[in-house]
Amino acid sequence: MDDIEFKQMWASLNEKQETTLKVNQKIIENASGLRVKSLLNSMKPTKLFLIIIGILWVLFLDTVIINTFGEVSAFFTISAIIQVLLTKLSIGIYLYQIIMIQQVDISQPITVAQEKLLNLKSSTLWVARILWLQLPVWSTFYLHPALFTTENLLWLIFQAIATFSLLYLSIWLFININFKNKEKKWFKWLFDNNEWNPVIKSMELIDDLKEFKN
Amino acid sequence: MEQTTQNSLFETILNEHKGIFFKIAKTYCKNEDDRKDLLQEMMIQVWQSLPRYKSDFKLSTWLYRVVLNVAISYYRKQVIRQNHHQIIDFSIQDFVDTPISESNPNLELLETFISELNDLDKALIVLYLEDKNHGEISEILGISVSNVSTKVLRIKEKLKQKFSKQQ
Repeated sequence: MDDIEFKQMWASLNEKQETTLKVNQKIIENASGLRVKSLLNSMKPTKLFLIIIGILWVLFLDTVIINTFGEVSAFFTISAIIQVLLTKLSIGIYLYQIIMIQQVDISQPITVAQEKLLNLKSSTLWVARILWLQLPVWSTFYLHPALFTTENLLWLIFQAIATFSLLYLSIWLFININFKNKEKKWFKWLFDNNEWNPVIKSMELIDDLKEFKN
Repeated sequence: MEQTTQNSLFETILNEHKGIFFKIAKTYCKNEDDRKDLLQEMMIQVWQSLPRYKSDFKLSTWLYRVVLNVAISYYRKQVIRQNHHQIIDFSIQDFVDTPISESNPNLELLETFISELNDLDKALIVLYLEDKNHGEISEILGISVSNVSTKVLRIKEKLKQKFSKQQ
């Protein structure tokens, strides 16, 4: 099998398909409507739903913080502020990435466009890293200065263990959620689902792309 | 770009270069339903990218870039499948190929071997089989001409070895 034979075989595919393909005029007639429709429909309903829930949650927490400021425990206010800031940051990064992915010029050379797309896609992992950081505040929002007495020593020890464990876990996850750990069991357990698989796949393709360019 | 210019350019692409859509979709998608969706997505992306097209650029080179970029990004196919079925009202059977390979077992083998390559090597070998010169392949893929030569040689060797094993 030589080069010419390969090309002749491929050309035979071309010749036959030219006779079997017809372009429906409707594609062209409907073309002007494609821009808006494709852009609006490019997000999975579940993702859109999660973003809406996230925004509603942030609005709710903002309202609670403003209306209870100075009237409730400082632990609650500070915990809520940390939680709402991290959630806002995650939503912001996620929306920014979605918009940037839409704006990548796909008429650029394959390696250039794919590198941009894959880097943007894989950086979605930052959203997960940031969201895990809020873990410790779920163990502090209910605290009150009146609880810090010697009678509550045992409870305080448990509380401290719980808060510092969650703090350690959140920092550990923030540092360790990265592509290098993609083969680890805990990583697969966290990210082996339909929502995250495209992100993990993007990371794997980055390696292929690097190899291809060299 | 004016709407009428965009329409007429889109029409030209679909009439004169429809084979590009078909062959790339066939190379990247074995499943027929997925392939229909991929074809639709390719058309949507070509249409959306047209305002950025500059007439001094060779149309087929530009088109290969867009269509290959869409095909390689097709791991997001679930998103595409869910959303685009109702966007374009066109008879998809127009794009369903006849069983060409049945009449040529070697072509069937070639397609199978190509499908086993990774997404970027697939793009390279398809461009080579489309008789693009190394300069144009380099322009489409964004790698150096010498890199194209080395890779084409390597993939061809791989294909030849596979063919010789089969025969």
